[in-house]
Amino acid sequence: MRMEQIKDNMQILEIKDIRKSFETKVLDGVSLEVNSGDVVAILGPSGSGKTTLLRCINFLETADSGTMIFDGKTYDLAHASKKEIAEIRKKTGFVFQNYNLFRNKTALENVMLGLTTAHGLSKNEAEKIGKEMLVRVGMEDKMNYYPSQLSGGQQQRVAIARALAPNPKIIYFDEPTSALDPELIGEVLSVMRQLAIEGMTMIVVTHEMDFAKNVSNKVVFMEKGVIVEQGLSNEVFENPKQERTKEFLRLEENRTLGKG
Amino acid sequence: MGSELWELFVDSFWKILLPGLKMTIPLTVLAFSFAMIIAVIVAMINYANVPFLKPITRFYIWIIRGTPLIVQLMIGYFGLNNIGIKIDAFPAAVLVFSLNEGAYCAETMRAALEAVPHGQLEAGYCVGMNYLQIMWHIVLPQAFRTAFPPLSNSLIGMVKDTSLAANITVTEMFFAAQRIAGRTYKFMLLYLEVALIYLIFSTILTWIQGYGEKKLNAYGANKG
Repeated sequence: MRMEQIKDNMQILEIKDIRKSFETKVLDGVSLEVNSGDVVAILGPSGSGKTTLLRCINFLETADSGTMIFDGKTYDLAHASKKEIAEIRKKTGFVFQNYNLFRNKTALENVMLGLTTAHGLSKNEAEKIGKEMLVRVGMEDKMNYYPSQLSGGQQQRVAIARALAPNPKIIYFDEPTSALDPELIGEVLSVMRQLAIEGMTMIVVTHEMDFAKNVSNKVVFMEKGVIVEQGLSNEVFENPKQERTKEFLRLEENRTLGKG
Repeated sequence: MGSELWELFVDSFWKILLPGLKMTIPLTVLAFSFAMIIAVIVAMINYANVPFLKPITRFYIWIIRGTPLIVQLMIGYFGLNNIGIKIDAFPAAVLVFSLNEGAYCAETMRAALEAVPHGQLEAGYCVGMNYLQIMWHIVLPQAFRTAFPPLSNSLIGMVKDTSLAANITVTEMFFAAQRIAGRTYKFMLLYLEVALIYLIFSTILTWIQGYGEKKLNAYGANKG
């Protein structure tokens, strides 16, 4: 009983039976639980619905059906009101595959803008937080640069700072290193590793097996719009139960070896 | 050039330039300012697919683009006065040029808005901003950067088009040149002279455009 209660208190996000079709079924009943401090890696082949899952729970796409319990409140994923969506987004961060930094704003302005507009902070407060966040991702030297003057890895670190700025309950990462040149992947992953150590709750759609194995504590393996297997990271990697998971992990391992 | 012609040239230069400063420039500045307001509003209605308003804006653009400017001017001044709506020539010209230029610039702005990648909006939503905040801080500034060269083009085009206002008795530069030519019969001289003055106006605007583009390039907004 007591254990149950502690567990309940820790839960930050629960998704129940989310469904979404475009022409075909992209999400076919996915459920997921995330506790505070979890780093959940979502793995799976292209087209398995990983990205759509993230986009649906931040309302960049509207799910056909499904519920979400976030920060103690229940939301209907298909019919959330504008107000509810705004409320959720103020407590979450999102990091895109292709960074999506505001092109007409400097690195610092990128981090500040959400704070001054959506969160109602003064310019001074926002600037103070903005600089702190850029220090956290090691970008304080480039705070007055425009995105076009930064490398992909630097842009992605600024994007992480921007997601961190309002002190969100959870940050979603949508393939954060997939658009990067190989030599730039490390700097982004090390920032994410640092966040994990600091206890930030994260859901990371990724193809980086090392990150999933060593940084995340939970792994979700998706294929064809369903979760094939999920569990603690070391269990899934050491001892996968499903045939498809084994095959996927073997292929990924070969791919990584081939690259190295 | 005979000294008589030279004297006429010098003498008429100020007589043409003065209405240029007093009529052509105010007409252009006023009409283009109104046109920009119309253009941004119409472009945003189209960009955001606002129901009811969008068909109205498409109708407006259809009418303006499908009829000659000179005819619009005639309707706006002689036509309106004819049906009892008393309007002076200058405000009529401002009205017609604003509506005409507004339709064309709206299409320029719409294209520029649509050129802003969708990811910019999504990023705005994800940091918690609402639609209008995103438009104001992110999309419109980027669209203006893209639209700046073609809008400058439109402005330069409009300076020259204001010569058509002579047809509705606005005493702008071309009107003044025509009057002097009619009196002195030195058509070639006067029309070349007024052409030269339009050329000077356009050249100055081209310089300003170049300067403005350099300023905006500091953003490097379209490189990344």
